[in-house]
Parts: sequence; C-alpha cells; structure tokens
Amino acid sequence: MEAKHKILVLDDDADWLDMCRDFLAQLPSQPEIRTAATGVRALSMLDATQFRILICDLKMPRMDGLQVLSIVRRRFPELRTVVLTGLQDDQFRSRAYALGVDLFWLKSDMQQDSKLFLDCIESLLGRGDAGGFRDAQAKNLLDVIQMECLAGNSSVLRINSGPQIGKIWFHHGELIDAAAEGADGDAAFRRILKWKSGTFESLPAEPERARTMTKSLESLLSESEEIGEKDTAPGSIEELAHQKYVEQLAAIAVAGAEFVVSAPAKKELAAKSWGTKNTEQVASWTRHVQKSAQRLGEMLSAGPLTHVSGHNVERHLLLLPQSDKTYVVGWPAEAMPGHLFEQSKNLTKSWDS
Amino acid sequence: MGLLKWFSSPRPTVHKLPSGSFTVDRHGKVMTGTVAADCPAAVLDDIAKEVLSVFREARAAQMPLAEVSLDFAGIKISARDMQGGAIIFLLPKNPLATAEAKT
Repeated sequence: MEAKHKILVLDDDADWLDMCRDFLAQLPSQPEIRTAATGVRALSMLDATQFRILICDLKMPRMDGLQVLSIVRRRFPELRTVVLTGLQDDQFRSRAYALGVDLFWLKSDMQQDSKLFLDCIESLLGRGDAGGFRDAQAKNLLDVIQMECLAGNSSVLRINSGPQIGKIWFHHGELIDAAAEGADGDAAFRRILKWKSGTFESLPAEPERARTMTKSLESLLSESEEIGEKDTAPGSIEELAHQKYVEQLAAIAVAGAEFVVSAPAKKELAAKSWGTKNTEQVASWTRHVQKSAQRLGEMLSAGPLTHVSGHNVERHLLLLPQSDKTYVVGWPAEAMPGHLFEQSKNLTKSWDS
Repeated sequence: MGLLKWFSSPRPTVHKLPSGSFTVDRHGKVMTGTVAADCPAAVLDDIAKEVLSVFREARAAQMPLAEVSLDFAGIKISARDMQGGAIIFLLPKNPLATAEAKT
C-alpha cells in the first residue's frame, strides 16, 4: 500500500493550527497532517520524518519563518514549501520567493478562496510524481542540462540553490538564455554551473523568450572550465557569513535548543544572537550575572565560575563563560536539565572558529 | 619562652566554604537559615544581595527566572525566587574545601 504524503504546518497560533489541520483534511489525496508551534520543533520533525510539504507562517517568536525557510532550503532541498502568513507586505513576499518557496499565500486569501488553495496544495503534493527534475537530484546539474540538449527539448530549467534561483531556457535542445544573480546570458550560465547543490525543476517552454546565448553547450562548458580554474576564490565575505549563520541556526535546531546569544565582556561590543530577537536584553543580563558571579567568587574564593543555569516555566538558560565573552543558550522547558551543560558546551564548541 | 612564643604564633585563619541554606526577604535581609554560625553574617548578606540582583535583572530583561544556580569550581550557589525574596542553597563541591572569607 502506498504511504500517504505528509504535510507539516508550522504556526505559533494553536487555534490556527487546529483549523489548518481540519481544513487540509479535505485534500483529495488525504495526506497526513502534522503541526508544529515553533521553528525548532518543525526542524526536528523534518529531521525525523520525510514530509512532502511544509506550510510555514512568517511571523513567529524566536525563530521566524524566513529563518526556518533558509535552513529548510539547505537541509531539505526536496521539500515543497508554502508560506501562509497574515503579513501583507510585498517585501516579505519577495524575500520568501528569494528563498525558493513554491507558494506564497495570505491567510485572508486562503480563507476567501479555500478551494483554490486546496487545489494548489494538492498540485504540489502530486507534482513530484509527475516528472520534472525534482526527483533527479542525484544527477549532476550538468547531466540534466546535457540531457535537455540531447533530447532536443524546449523547456525552462529552474534551479534552486539555497537562496539563489537560476533559470536556463532551452529551445529545441539549444541554450537560448540564462538568468541568475542579476546576470543573464553566458555570465548567468557560468554562475549557475558554479553552484554546488540544489534542486531542479522543469517548467513549460517559453518559445517567445529572446535569444541571448549563441554559443554551443560544449564551448560554454570549456569556457567555464577555463574561467573556473582561474577563479577559485570562494564566495564573498557576506555570503560566507550568511552561510555560517544559517549553519549555526541549523545546529541549534538539531541540538534541540531555542537560541544562542554571544555576549562580549565589553559592553561597547555588540552582542550576536541566533534564534532570538531579545539580544541586547539577554546580553545585558548576562554581563550583570558575570559581574555578580565575579564578586561572589572573589569573596568566597570559590574558584572559577564554570557555568550559570536558570529556568522558568518557558525555558532553561545556560550561561557558559569564556575568556572574552559569555554564551547564553536557551533550551525548551521540557529539556533534561542534567544534560544541558554538556549539550551547551558541545553546541558552542566551535561557534566562533 | 621566646622559642615557645615562636611556635605559638597565630596561624592563618582558615574558613570552610559556607554550607547550608538560608532565606532572605525582598530587601536582602536574612530571615532564617541553617548555615553554620561561624560564617560571618556579612558574607550571607553579600551572597543574598548578588543573588537577588540576578533575579531582579532577569525580570528587567523580560525573562523572569524561578531558579538560578551559579556553579563555581568550589561551590554551587542555588537560589529559588520567593516572591521577590529567595531561598538560597550553598553547596560546597567538596565539604572539606577551605576558603578565606574576605569580609
């Protein structure tokens, strides 16, 4: 018996999740609907189970929807993503699409046009079975391009690589145009070839697309190879920093933590945070705790401070003092307190390296 | 006699790390406790002052805490918030560990 597809709905509003569960139960293919109230929970569920679609809210505390989507795009490139939000700002729409989401729906539109929404979701559930390159990720991008050329296809190949989206237009097996990272034609094609991983999707042909590329695939590939040998420089500092930020967010999610704040000992240096927006307040409290601990340690000659822990009904906090900064790791209330010191140390071990 | 005086010269004072628990009100006044009487009251006052300030600053940072523990190499100071006051537990890691209280 064929297993049912699974849909994960992420929203911090419990009532909305209940409503969505009932609503999506009307889908003709009867997928299994699961819900998560936090980004961290959603990511751990995605790690544990194979889902077909993630339906994600944008405005959520701690880890917002865009952060979740950044991680999802890298860690689960085959997952279909749908944004379902109450935020009407076009800026969020374009940022979500830049992250490669498949659909962007406003909650109000979804309620008004529920049938269309269900049709879209059903279509996404079934699209993987209908062909295209989504399921051919084991293949090299180059293989896919060569297959399109050799088969004499007319199509548009859409490539998602993390937050980057590229398109290559084929007409009767010839490359006619490409677009990526603000470039087009040959330059865009070379940029796409540099992407290390991603997902492919074949879109309907656009015969009216203007031709900007005239070289054959072979000559483009040999040019790319020559340029690639000369240009081995890694991505820009901003790209690398962003990539590291996303990897660190993913590490937090995998560990099951909620957030990390790095509070420098010097007040004039800015604190950094991953997964929380309460950065300065947490950092300020952390510096205060450090000073109190220092005074207590000196008064009692109690030796160095190894860590500080605290908890309330919502979460556990663990402070790990370093020579020039203190890490604060937030853990969910249900975490096992006895293991948090070691888990926090492991999580932040190579944080700034 | 001079020789005896030399042998009986005062030894450095050695204090054990305080052990036990005590409660303080919201103003930091020690109410009750099981900490040995040889631990100077000023030490308990200072511990209470610092612990209460940790709770107070946590509230100011929008993350009120129910409990906090400061883990040093030699002692663990645990405290539970009691409506602005606190109950504080002093748990030396090694009961025989000594420290010179600087009061």
